[in-house]
Amino acid sequence: MIYLDHAAATPVHPAALKAMLPYFTEQFFNPSAPYLPAKHIREAYESAKNTIARYIGAKGTDLVITAGATESINLAFTVLQSYPNSRCLTLTTEHAAVLEVAKAHSRDLIAVHHDGLIDLDDLVQKLNDDVVLVSVSLANNELGTIQPLADIAALIQKTRQARLEREITTPLFLHSDASQALSLLDLNVARLGVDLLTLNAAKCGGPKGIGALYLAHGVPVQPLSLGGGQERGLRSGTENVPSVIGFATAITEAKDHLSGSRKKYTKMAQLLRQALKNLPETIFLGNLKHQLVSFVPVCFPGLDAERLIYKLEADDIFVSTGAACAANKGAKSHVLAAIGLSDEEIAGSLRISLGLTNTEEQITIAAQKIVEVVQSEYARISQHTHSIQGSNHAFQGGTNV
Amino acid sequence: MSKVFLGMSGGVDSSVSAILLKEHGYDVTGVYMKNWSKDLPGMKCPWAEDLADAKRVAVQLDLDFEVWDFEQDYKSKVVDYMLNEFKKGNTPNPDIMCNEQIKFKLFYDRAIACGADYIATGHYARISGEKLTNTALLRAKDENKDQTYFLYRMSDAATAKTLFPVGNLLKPEVKAIAAQKGLDVATKKESMGVCFVGEVGMKDFLREYLNSKPGEIREAETDIVLGYHDGAIFYTIGQRHGLYLGGGLPYYVVKKDLDQNIVYVSKNLNHPALWSISLTLRDLHLRNELTVGDLSQTSNLKVRLRHRAPLLPAKFQNNQVTFSEPVKHPAAGQSAVFYSDEVCLGGGIIAK
Repeated sequence: MIYLDHAAATPVHPAALKAMLPYFTEQFFNPSAPYLPAKHIREAYESAKNTIARYIGAKGTDLVITAGATESINLAFTVLQSYPNSRCLTLTTEHAAVLEVAKAHSRDLIAVHHDGLIDLDDLVQKLNDDVVLVSVSLANNELGTIQPLADIAALIQKTRQARLEREITTPLFLHSDASQALSLLDLNVARLGVDLLTLNAAKCGGPKGIGALYLAHGVPVQPLSLGGGQERGLRSGTENVPSVIGFATAITEAKDHLSGSRKKYTKMAQLLRQALKNLPETIFLGNLKHQLVSFVPVCFPGLDAERLIYKLEADDIFVSTGAACAANKGAKSHVLAAIGLSDEEIAGSLRISLGLTNTEEQITIAAQKIVEVVQSEYARISQHTHSIQGSNHAFQGGTNV
Repeated sequence: MSKVFLGMSGGVDSSVSAILLKEHGYDVTGVYMKNWSKDLPGMKCPWAEDLADAKRVAVQLDLDFEVWDFEQDYKSKVVDYMLNEFKKGNTPNPDIMCNEQIKFKLFYDRAIACGADYIATGHYARISGEKLTNTALLRAKDENKDQTYFLYRMSDAATAKTLFPVGNLLKPEVKAIAAQKGLDVATKKESMGVCFVGEVGMKDFLREYLNSKPGEIREAETDIVLGYHDGAIFYTIGQRHGLYLGGGLPYYVVKKDLDQNIVYVSKNLNHPALWSISLTLRDLHLRNELTVGDLSQTSNLKVRLRHRAPLLPAKFQNNQVTFSEPVKHPAAGQSAVFYSDEVCLGGGIIAK
């Protein structure tokens, strides 16, 4: 198997799995229970949270553990509830988890350029006094485009200043969904300049169904579920200890190998791009300078990307179109539409995303297969009218009546 | 090379049909007929997975594959028909209507317009003969899977241009071919009943589209109120499940009063409403230029009253089918389908 869809899911890192296992069995206690073994579980849990938090330059108590990025985003957007008649801004290319939540509020969408980068002028224009939350993903989930978050944060800081000078007290928060960027970019919240940050374990070698929301001091989010008051009352329910342990271990692994991983990704992506470049039709999508090194989004105009997926799948090579959830619904990618691709180009676009378990040898094999399949599909549509001798009626005229 | 457009549903039967057609040298284009894409109660995007299954098979066989959108026609010709029948108190069979109006009419017409020599589907049925007038629809080799009950209204013209590649195979043979080719759909659960309602269940579907209000369930013999139902139109004569009248001997629906919204039930399995020796038909569709007179004179006439039900000896006269002994009364709106040996002669819709 050659798996090239790491933007959808990653295999759990062996070290993370190993670290998690005891917490399903002998270390099963409820961290809130009063006896000593339970206290040790609480300590392990808090320590894991601290590990995750340190990775982004924060404290464990700044994090709310959630069931993944979607829940983190939903929780982040509750800040709007604290300010009546407020608005939020987000990009046209955000993940559905952001767009759908934003849609439930007053919202404006900020345009992106053809390379997927935010149109900062559009942001400035829409940053009116009623805007309370701006949400921009650090790296796009289909294109891998890395947004200039520090520039956006600076702009937001300037806007805050301007509001204060005009004695407008409406706060302005910056949220970023960093799901795709976790194992590849600097996520230090101070350097990024974010007030809220969404993290997701499943994209970086952690288990699925676990994530976190970082909250700067004083950001007034509202709990989505009430109960026992865990996570500072912001997320009730018994803590998912094994998954948080796995999350922390996966992050530690990612951090320890960050520069090596980047080199490895760069080398593999280069190999792949070089091979695909030999096809005259290939268009690489996104801004190559501001793109996650693991992403190779590519378009073969005129082809049907789903056919490519099914053909590659027969060779045990797995690639994808757009977001896994969008692909399932048979809908065309709103991200590719937003960067100005035509319907035909969207239909011919693949998302290839590399992972650390990939090898250069795998990439060479996959690249060759992709080239073959693309060539055969172009050949199929170019010679649509072929006629071969011999007619056959095998399924008619069987029995005489 | 004959050009064939094959209706592919994502199921094992149409997938294996694709394999067989290709092996026999046909130039095959797979077509997914998009009939219903709206969300259903509790189900988002019910068609996406079937479409993906169909396309995956087509692509892996290196076939051309297209999606043909019949959604509007399906709504007006099948769903609206179905809803209207229910409103009248009948229990329609939308699969029969779908085959007549969509698969073997619109799909057929469009395929022919696209230059098809044949259309094909994964139905279990066979076709014989060459000329239009004697192109007969025959029961499948697999008696247990035979689908001619659903196909009796397909036109003679379409029949003459249709291939049923799995009609000469037994279901286990079809599954074996799929498994041997490594098709994922080899183990796919079979869809039951109405193509698009399938998983959700007819009642939940109808509830979304028909107005209904709760009413009484009364015992037919005593008029005593036994319980309550959620809309008389949801019930079918002979039905014994879903009445929620508690334990003991089962009750059967024997009468519906749609005006008063009352469902009458009985414990008496011999209640006259449940049995009949003859049925009146409407909207007859006879195949191969057969006349009503021919039908009356068919000596070995057999009738099927439900998909997979036994073939019953019967006589036909003046739109009436008469059996040699009483049969369990099928619901009005269902079909009675005629056979002479393995040939499907046509059928009609049960009026009462």
